[in-house]
Amino acid sequence: MPPLIVPALLVALAAAVILVAPLLLDTYLVNILVRACFVAIAAITVDIMWGYCGTLTFGQSAFFGIGAYALAIMFTEYGFGTWQIFAAIGAAVAVAAAVAAFTGWLSFYPGSTPLYASVISLVVPIVLVQILYSGGTFTGSSSGLVGFESFDLEIETWLRLAGLGLLATAVLALVVMRSDTGRLLSALRDNDSRCTYLGIDTSRLRIVVLVLSAIVSALAGFFYAGFGAVAAPENASFAFGTNLVIMVALGGRGTVIGPVIGALCIEVASAYLANSLPYVWELIVGLALIIVILVFPDGLLGAVMRLVKRGRSAVATTILQPAIAATAVSNPDAVAIEVRALGKHYGSLAVLDGVQFTAYRGELLSLVGPNGAGKTTLIRCLSDGRERSTGNVAIAGHDIARLPPDRVVRFGLGRKFQTASVFETLTVAECLRVARTHADPPALTSRSATLALPPAAMSVVERSGLGERLDEEARNLSHGLKQALELAMVLSLEPDVLLLDEPTAGLTRAERQGFADILTTLARRDRLCILLVEHDLDFVREISSRIIVLHQGRLALDGSVDEVVNSELVREIYTGQHVSHAEVPA
Amino acid sequence: MLTVALDAVTTAAMLFIIAAGLLIVFGVMKIINFAHAAFLTVGAYAALVGAHLNLPWFLVLPLAFVAGALCGGVTEIVIVRRLYKRPLDAILATWGLGIVLGQLITLMFGREVQFVQAPISGTVHLFGADYSAYRLVMIVAAVILGLLFTGLLNGTRLGLSTKAVIMNEMLAQGLGVDSSRVRLITFALGSGLAALSGALITPLSSVDPNMGVPWLIGAFMLVMVSGGSLLALAGSCAVLGTLQVLVSTFVNPILGGLTIAICAAIVLRIRPEGFARA
Amino acid sequence: MNSRLLTTSLALALAATTLSPAFAADPIKIGVPVGLSGANSVVAPSVVQSAELAVEEINAKGGVLGRKLELEVADDASGAAGAQKAFDALIFQKKVNVLISMETSAARNAGLPIVARGKTPYIYTSFYEGKSCSPYLYVNAWVPDQQVPPIVDYFNKEKKAKNYFLIGSDYAFGRGMLAFTKMYIEKTGGKVVGEEYLPMDGSDWTSIISKLKASGADALITSTAGGAPNVTLTKQLRAAGVSLPYGNLAVDEGTAKGMGADAAGIYLSASYVTGIDTPANKTFLASMAKKFGAELKTPNDLSVPQYEAVYAYKAAVEKAGSTDQDKVLKALAEVSVDGPRGTIKMDKQRHAPLTMYLGQVQPDGSVKVIQSFKDVDPGAQCPGKS
Repeated sequence: MPPLIVPALLVALAAAVILVAPLLLDTYLVNILVRACFVAIAAITVDIMWGYCGTLTFGQSAFFGIGAYALAIMFTEYGFGTWQIFAAIGAAVAVAAAVAAFTGWLSFYPGSTPLYASVISLVVPIVLVQILYSGGTFTGSSSGLVGFESFDLEIETWLRLAGLGLLATAVLALVVMRSDTGRLLSALRDNDSRCTYLGIDTSRLRIVVLVLSAIVSALAGFFYAGFGAVAAPENASFAFGTNLVIMVALGGRGTVIGPVIGALCIEVASAYLANSLPYVWELIVGLALIIVILVFPDGLLGAVMRLVKRGRSAVATTILQPAIAATAVSNPDAVAIEVRALGKHYGSLAVLDGVQFTAYRGELLSLVGPNGAGKTTLIRCLSDGRERSTGNVAIAGHDIARLPPDRVVRFGLGRKFQTASVFETLTVAECLRVARTHADPPALTSRSATLALPPAAMSVVERSGLGERLDEEARNLSHGLKQALELAMVLSLEPDVLLLDEPTAGLTRAERQGFADILTTLARRDRLCILLVEHDLDFVREISSRIIVLHQGRLALDGSVDEVVNSELVREIYTGQHVSHAEVPA
Repeated sequence: MLTVALDAVTTAAMLFIIAAGLLIVFGVMKIINFAHAAFLTVGAYAALVGAHLNLPWFLVLPLAFVAGALCGGVTEIVIVRRLYKRPLDAILATWGLGIVLGQLITLMFGREVQFVQAPISGTVHLFGADYSAYRLVMIVAAVILGLLFTGLLNGTRLGLSTKAVIMNEMLAQGLGVDSSRVRLITFALGSGLAALSGALITPLSSVDPNMGVPWLIGAFMLVMVSGGSLLALAGSCAVLGTLQVLVSTFVNPILGGLTIAICAAIVLRIRPEGFARA
Repeated sequence: MNSRLLTTSLALALAATTLSPAFAADPIKIGVPVGLSGANSVVAPSVVQSAELAVEEINAKGGVLGRKLELEVADDASGAAGAQKAFDALIFQKKVNVLISMETSAARNAGLPIVARGKTPYIYTSFYEGKSCSPYLYVNAWVPDQQVPPIVDYFNKEKKAKNYFLIGSDYAFGRGMLAFTKMYIEKTGGKVVGEEYLPMDGSDWTSIISKLKASGADALITSTAGGAPNVTLTKQLRAAGVSLPYGNLAVDEGTAKGMGADAAGIYLSASYVTGIDTPANKTFLASMAKKFGAELKTPNDLSVPQYEAVYAYKAAVEKAGSTDQDKVLKALAEVSVDGPRGTIKMDKQRHAPLTMYLGQVQPDGSVKVIQSFKDVDPGAQCPGKS
C-alpha cells in the first residue's frame, strides 16, 4: 500500500540514526540519551493516558519505579543471572499490573470525575515512595538500592537498545492510537457519558488502558535501573510523575511524537543547564508550562501540526455499506418498557413518585409536562439502574436492576440526550464506528475503510446529508446535523427502545419535519418503541400514538392524543393557554 | 487519652484552616488549585517579613492574607480565567505557577529554613495535662474562620452571589450575578486564606520554600471528600484528622501520614459524593 | 551536529583561557557533585566555599606535582536522578581526576556505579549511616560508631538516663543512626522505651510527641532529616513543654543558631565545631573569613571534611607521583592530613578515626564544647577490605 511507504521510510531513517548516533556522540551525551530514551517511553504512556484517553495522570512514575525496584531487589537478593532477569521482568509486569488494576478500580467507576482520577494518581506515587522509605534494607529506604550486578553492555549498545525500544514503543503507540481502537479511546476523552450510553464499559476500558500503560512504564523503569545499576525512590516519586506530564504538555499531548521530543529535549537540556543553574532551570520549566497551557494547549508539536494542516482539507475515503440485517423482529408488539411504582427522592423531596406505565413496540409515546415535572429524571431512571430510589424498570423484558447505563443499553435501549452529544474531535464516520463497537469490535492496528450501518441509522445518515460529510470532524457540523448524527449513532445500536429528550429543540421547521418522518418510520416500519420528551405540542400531536402527562412527579394522565390534549387536567395545568398551538409554558 | 483527644481536635483544626481556602475555590470553580501550597508558603514568608519588620502578630496575619489575596487575584486574571472550560489544564497551569513561585521565593529568600518566633509559647495546664498553648490557639482560629465564612456566605450580598454560582452558574448569570467577578473574588479569597493559614502554622512549622507541599495531598483529599461544603469540610477534618491521630498514635506515624489520603480515596470510591449531603 | 567536536573545541577554548604560565601541564580536575538544589541546598554553599579555599591555597603554593587544581561543581539535586546526571557530567564530560563531595546517601549510592565505570577515586566527605563500601570510595567524615557513643555515654553517666526515646525521619540516615543508637544504648545497659519515625517531609510531630510524653522516658535522641524536619520537631517539642535531656544527631551549629531559644540545651556530637581551639582551626577560619567576607557561610561539620579531603587528595597524588587512579587509590589510605579537625588518616577500611566533640547549644545559639573524645575508631565499616 503506497501510503505506508513514507512512514516506513521515516521509521527506517530513525532506526538508522539510532544505530549510527553512538559513534558520533561523546560518552556523556550518550549516557544522558540512554536515560532520556527510557524516560521518553514513560512519557508516551502518560500521553496515551492523558492525551488520548483524557485522564491527567501524575502516577506513571509509580509504575516506572515498580519496574526499577523489581530489577534492583531481584538482583540484590538473588544476584544477576538469566532466570533472575526473567523473574524480575515477570515481577515488574505483575506488580505494575496489579497496582494499576487497583488504582484503576479506585479511579474509574461510573460517575467518577477526571479531577478525582487525577488526584488519585497523585496519591499512588506518594504512598509507594512511603513504602519504599519504610522498606529498610530490602528497598534501601531513601538511599535506594545500589551495588548490585547488572547488564554488562557497552554504553553504545545501551543507546542502540534504548533508542530502538523507544522507536518501537512510539511506532506501536502511533499505530494503535491511529487505529479504530485509538479513535475509540479519543471518544472516551471527548465524551465519556456518550460512550457509556453506546453500551461501552468506559471504566473497564480505562482500567485496561491504565494496566497496559503501567506495564510499559514498568518495563521502561526496569531497563532504566538496569542501565544505571541504581533504583532510587525518586524514580517512583510524584515529582518525576509531574515532570513526565510537563514533558507531554510541552511536547504536545495526543501526538506521541511530541512527548518523545519533549522528554528528550527536557532531559538533555536539564543535564546541561540544571547542573549549574538548578533554580533558574526550574523557573524556566514552570513558566514554559504555564505559557504552553495558556497559549498552545496542544503543545509545541501540536501548534506546528496545526499550521501544517491548515491548508489540507479532509478527503472523503470512508465507504458506507449496510450491516448484515439483524434477525427480523420476532414479536412486533411485545412489551418494550415496563415501569412499576417508580420513585426518585432527594432526601425528603420526591421528584418522581409512583410512576407506572407500560409501552409496547411500535408505539410512539410522548412524555409531556411542565418544567420540573420530572421528565428528564424519568428518562434517566429508565436508562440508568442506579438513578431511581424505588420501583422496578424492565427494558424489553429485562429487569434493569441497579445496572449502569452501558449494561442497560445492551438490553436494547438507546438514549439521545437533550443537547447533541457527539464526539467533537472525531469525524462523522468515526463517531458512527464508535457507536458500532458492540457489533464490530474495533481493529487494534488499522483503520477500516468501510463503515457498516444498520438500515435505520443508514437512512438517517443519508436523509440528513451526513453521508457526504463522513470524514469531517463532528465539531464542524451544524446544530441540526449534530442532532442527526447523535440519532444515527443511537440507532447504530439497533435498539428496541429509543428515548429522546427534546430532539427538535433549536431545529428549523424543515429539520423538524424530517425528524418527524424519521421517527414515524422507525416506529411503524422498524417496530421501535419510542419515548419522546417534547415541549412542542403540535409536534407531539402530529406524531404520537399515545401521550403521558407528568405533573409534580406523578403520572397524571396516560391516553391517546385526543384524550390527553382535550382533558380537564391538561387544561388546568396549562390554564390560560391555547394549548393546541402553543408550546407548553415553563 | 486526654492528650490524644486534644491532638485530634487540634489536628482537625489545623487541617480545616489549611483546607478552607482550597475548598471555596473548589466549590465555586470546580477546580483544584495546585498552587495552594505555594500560596501557603507566600503567607509564611509574608509572616517572616512582618516579623523582621517587628510588626505585632495581629498585623502580621492581615499582611499575609493580603499578600496571598494579591497573588491569587493576579493568578485568576492572568491564568485561571482562561482555563475555566479546561479544568485539567487549570490544574497543570496552577502546578506550573506553584513551581514558579517556589523558585522565586528560593531566589529571593534563599533555600534556608527560616524562623518565626511564636507569639504564644509554652504549655497550658488543661484537664490535668500540659498541652501546647499554640495548638490550642489553632482551635480558636479554626472556629473564628468557620464562623466568619458562614457569616460571609449567608449574610452578605457577595456570599449570596457566591452560593448562587456554586448551585447553578447559568441560572445565577441569568439573575444578573456577575459570575466572573464572583470567581475573581473567590480565588483571591481562597488564596488569601491559604496564605493566612501559612502564617498561622509558622510557629509550629519551619519556613522554607517547600513547606506547603506536605500539607497539599491531605488538603486535596479533604476537599474532594467534602465536595464544596464548609460544614462537610469541618466534618471530614474532624473524622479524618482524628483517624490520622489514632493511627499515628496506636499504629505508626508513617501510616498515620497516609491515613487521610487513603481513607478519603476509599470513601470516595464507595460513596462518590463523599461526606457532602451525609 | 557533531557534539564531540563542539565539546572538544569548547574545552580547548577553556583551556586556552585558563592556562597560566606558572602551570605548564594540564590542570588536575576535582569534581564536586553537590546538592545545590534539594535537601542539601542549605549546606551545599558552605561545602563549595571550603573546597574553593583549599584549591586556592594549594594553587598559590604551586599546585600538585606542578599542575594546577581546578574545581568542577555540579548540582546533584540532593537525589539519585540528579546525581546520575552530575556524575556522568563530571566523569565523562569534564573528565575529572577525582570526585570529592558532601552528598546525600541516595546521591552517593547513585553515583557509585558511575564512579566504578569511570574508575575514578571518590572521597565522600559527609557523615552518613555507615557501611558504604566500594574500591573507589574513601570517607573522611564520621559514621554512627563514632558519633553516637559520646552522647549516650554522657547521658548514661551525667544524666543517669535509663529509658531512652528515639525519634527519626524515615530514611536511610535516620533509620541507620537510630538502629546503631538503640544497639549501643542496650549494650551500655539502657532501655529504649519508644522508637518513632515520620516520613522525610513530614512536619506534624503531634502524635509522636504525645507518645514521648506518655512514655516516661528520661532522655531523648533524635535523628531527623536536616533542615525543616529538624526545625519543626524541635519547635513542636518546645511548644509541648518537653525538657528532657535532648540529644540531636542531625543538628549543626548553623541550624541551632537560627532556631534561637528553642534550640537551647540540645546536645550534639560532631567531629568539627567552630570553637575547636587549635592553631590549624584558627588559621582556617581566618582564611575563610578573608576569602569570602560577607558571603561566608559558617564552616561546619560537613564543609570542613570537604576542605581536608582536597588536601588528602593532594597528598595522595604526591605520594603516588601521578594522578594514576590505581596508585592514588592505594595512597589515599596511607597519607594523613593535618587540618582544622586534627590529623586525619583514612586507614580503617577506607574510613578515618576522628576526634569527636560533645557540645551543648547555649541560649545565644553558640555551641559549648563539654567534652572531647580523641581518635574515635570508625569500627568495622567494610569488613574484609583493608
